Amino acid sequence: MTTAGLHCEQLSRRVGDRLLLDGLNLSVAPGESLALLGPSGCGKTTTLRLLAGLDPVSGGRIRLDGQDVTHSPAGERQVAMVFQSYALYPHLSVLANLELGLEVRRVPAPERRQRIAEVLALLQLEGLERRRPAQLSGGQRQRVALARALLRQPRLMLLDEPMSNLDAQLRDQLRPELRALLHRAGHPVIHVTHDQQEAMGLADRIAVLESGVLQQVGTPQELYHRPANLFVARFLGRPGINLLAGEAGVQLGIRPEQLRLVESGGLPARLLRREWQGSQQLLWLDTSRGELLLLAEASLSPGEQLQVSWRPEDELRFSSASGERLA
Amino acid sequence: MPIALPLLAALIWSLLPLLWQLLTSLRTPEALVLQGPAAWLQGWTLANYRQVLQGDPPFWRYLFNSCLVGAASTGLTLLLAIPAAYGLQRQRPALRGGISLLLLAAAMFPYVLLFLALLELARALGWGNQLLALALPYAGLSLPLAVLLLRAAFADLPAELEDAARLEGLNLWQRLHRVLLPLLAPAVASTAILVFLFSWNEYPIALTWISRNDMLTLPVAMARIAGSSVYAVPYGAFAAATVLGGLPLLALVLVFQRQIVSGLTQGAVKG
Repeated sequence: MTTAGLHCEQLSRRVGDRLLLDGLNLSVAPGESLALLGPSGCGKTTTLRLLAGLDPVSGGRIRLDGQDVTHSPAGERQVAMVFQSYALYPHLSVLANLELGLEVRRVPAPERRQRIAEVLALLQLEGLERRRPAQLSGGQRQRVALARALLRQPRLMLLDEPMSNLDAQLRDQLRPELRALLHRAGHPVIHVTHDQQEAMGLADRIAVLESGVLQQVGTPQELYHRPANLFVARFLGRPGINLLAGEAGVQLGIRPEQLRLVESGGLPARLLRREWQGSQQLLWLDTSRGELLLLAEASLSPGEQLQVSWRPEDELRFSSASGERLA
Repeated sequence: MPIALPLLAALIWSLLPLLWQLLTSLRTPEALVLQGPAAWLQGWTLANYRQVLQGDPPFWRYLFNSCLVGAASTGLTLLLAIPAAYGLQRQRPALRGGISLLLLAAAMFPYVLLFLALLELARALGWGNQLLALALPYAGLSLPLAVLLLRAAFADLPAELEDAARLEGLNLWQRLHRVLLPLLAPAVASTAILVFLFSWNEYPIALTWISRNDMLTLPVAMARIAGSSVYAVPYGAFAAATVLGGLPLLALVLVFQRQIVSGLTQGAVKG
């Protein structure tokens, strides 16, 4: 087992009698980017705060580059975090925001200036040094927060919903930039999101959490095509996966884009309604095995009788009892 | 301007006693009882101010005493209240609520009931006629409200700000000094003014703890002016002392006006 990067074992957090995080095992290699994905309250922000040292750990271990930091104070872990609100110091200029951390860590003034100049150039923030956070746009604030985190020279970079305060257009533009920047910086990156698009766009691997329990870790493709259980299958993919009853005790899942309209020999279906989505139409079909969603290019009108079919190998089979995927 | 009329009325309503005081301080005792419009043309004098300022000890001595006690009380209160408020805000909600309730009870307690007990205490400790000793009961009596006000201000700061500072390696003192307190300046300023005002106006404790003439604080000194003669009330001198005693406060409020107002409205609007 390699020691570089982040390893957590059986990481748990309990508040009173509520278990917020239950035995999380997770490793992130240097240069790798992992997204923690899940609905709100699933434990993803809890995980981030434990890793940062902002909340005490109730059980398990955290190791960073081979060193046990489970109980180290936040300021001594060399972990940087970009907060959802960015948490820039509102009374300080951009320059002072970046300098404060270096100053209290007793970095000599010439080195401070040089490192700040480098990171300002990297993030294209030159010329904004004298501004207060309130005088910056959302995208600029995000970059200042990122600059402050990079100046920490972290062994682990944490991002809490880094895109959620930006508008959709800016998000699409910044996602690849952020991804490239984090890759180049070369530390392990964990970012928390409830947005699967953001997770897929920013991360090499995704960890899906639900009710404090890790459901599955893997590449976006693995999670999409071979989900470990019904929760992951339903959580990933827009439009959502079709679920229909299989043989006894089995539930079938088929992605909408894997359903096909056929002339004959398929499952009879009636078109309930449709939604135009640009290149394709999203169709709601009523069949004897339940309601199905399907993406098609054909132009159809509601009430039409159709037949729908799929390849047996595209079926995902889940146990109805446990929700686990069956081989 | 229909809004200006009620505003003007309110201003006159609240400023009239002050104006009256100011006028009284500038008139001879005889002029005070004159009637008719002609009265406005005569009887103006600065003698009241002269009398007050040339007394023994001169009036500025009392001003200085009050300023000294006020500054000491305010400084001591903030020194204790800021860490207490921070600590209180970090407690579990149930404990925080309980302590806040106790503080509120303490802040509401009519302190006049305490002054006899405090006098015994001062006597036992030999604190009589020690000007700075007054700052101890004043700070003690101001602390509950100061802690409550500052705790609310701490609660209004986004928690992520302090988290960010912790991750950057700032210790508790650095976080308070470099990040939290600069953001709390308005709340600290308005709390400071409240404490200073209490100390400036306090009467029973100052009356009982201090007997030496050159160590009196303003309220006691002014009461002595008012009671200096059995046969006449020296309205003019009394008014002059009031005006002079109000000037430092006026200056203080003018200087900190912006902070006080933004402190009072803190938490009302996000951002």
